[in-house]
Amino acid sequence: MKKKLTLAILLAATGTAAIAGPVEEQIRFRQSAYSFAAWNVQKIKSQVVDHPETFNKDSVAAAANAIAAVANSGLGALYGEGTDQGIGWKQTRLKPEFFQKKAEVTVAANTFNEAANELAKVAATGDVNLIKTQFGKVGESCKGCHDLIRIKE
Amino acid sequence: MKVTIHIWDLPHRLFHWLLAVSVAASYITATIGGALIDWHGRLGIFILGLLVFRILWGFMGSTHSRFSTFFPTFSRLTAYLKGSWQGIGHNPLGALSVIALLGTVAIQVGTGLFANDDIAFEGPFFDFVDKSFSNKLTSWHSTTFYVLLAFVVLHIVAIVFYRWVKKTNLVTPMLTGKKEIPVVLAESIAPLPDKGFNALRFILSLIISCTVVWGVSGGLSQLSPAQAAQQTAPPPSSF
Repeated sequence: MKKKLTLAILLAATGTAAIAGPVEEQIRFRQSAYSFAAWNVQKIKSQVVDHPETFNKDSVAAAANAIAAVANSGLGALYGEGTDQGIGWKQTRLKPEFFQKKAEVTVAANTFNEAANELAKVAATGDVNLIKTQFGKVGESCKGCHDLIRIKE
Repeated sequence: MKVTIHIWDLPHRLFHWLLAVSVAASYITATIGGALIDWHGRLGIFILGLLVFRILWGFMGSTHSRFSTFFPTFSRLTAYLKGSWQGIGHNPLGALSVIALLGTVAIQVGTGLFANDDIAFEGPFFDFVDKSFSNKLTSWHSTTFYVLLAFVVLHIVAIVFYRWVKKTNLVTPMLTGKKEIPVVLAESIAPLPDKGFNALRFILSLIISCTVVWGVSGGLSQLSPAQAAQQTAPPPSSF
């Protein structure tokens, strides 16, 4: 009897851990994805906006492809139920309203995806002015989600 | 009988309207974001310049621009509340409003210098603090905006109140610099030390403000030779 109880408690504990695990894992992966995107955004900003004299076509194209890859990776899968609470690399900044605003979030997320894919396309041409304009649109699309579902620190 | 007096000098008026336009433009550029966030940053540095100029002008400008003329001291405030205050520049309550507006704009500029937008913008002093503190300041920057908005609304409501209830036009003097006041009032108030516009002091204020703007927008770092040699960014690393 005692053994069965211990087993039950153990199973329950493992079960809870199994639920908690994926939540924090989702948060951690999405934080990593955006950090990686941010690194690439920085490279483009530096070479296209701040110091255009340092522009390197291959470097910018690689960065744009990386951002597009993040956008196309299906980030939505990392926003499961309950992921508005929890610590990944740090406490998540996802607003609980995320789950009530799915329609708006979808629009905002698609805007980002389209903008990022267009940036990758434009970056391949090496035309600094076109890249600069499209880079601004990507920035706006980032802000679209931040304003909608991200908590200000 | 009324007399026309010179109340707000030209730099004072220019400061006022440039600040109003810049603050409005800052709001618009921040709201749209994207490429305009860089303009938001430039406007912020310009506003810093305006603030520095206004502070200097508060000591070097003509009579009614000087802080000593209108600073809302305790005795001035109590006199105003009792109804015995007389004057022609900022009244003590208006002076409080001036301080509130300038102070809030200063907080916005101060926090903005260290801010980041987590997308593609970092304020000129971002590197002096760690990221989490920058995030905190950015958050204050967006919250304090509503305080500023409240003071601006109060400012405009007060102007409308003066226009319709107290029958005093405050906008025209801020445009022309001239104000009509009753002779009785002009004669009854203690004559203020008449410090008129001084071109030399104006140029000095302007030079100091421009130097601050130049320094904050990266002028200092451009002087160092290490920065001067710009190279093309390296191609993507091979692994």
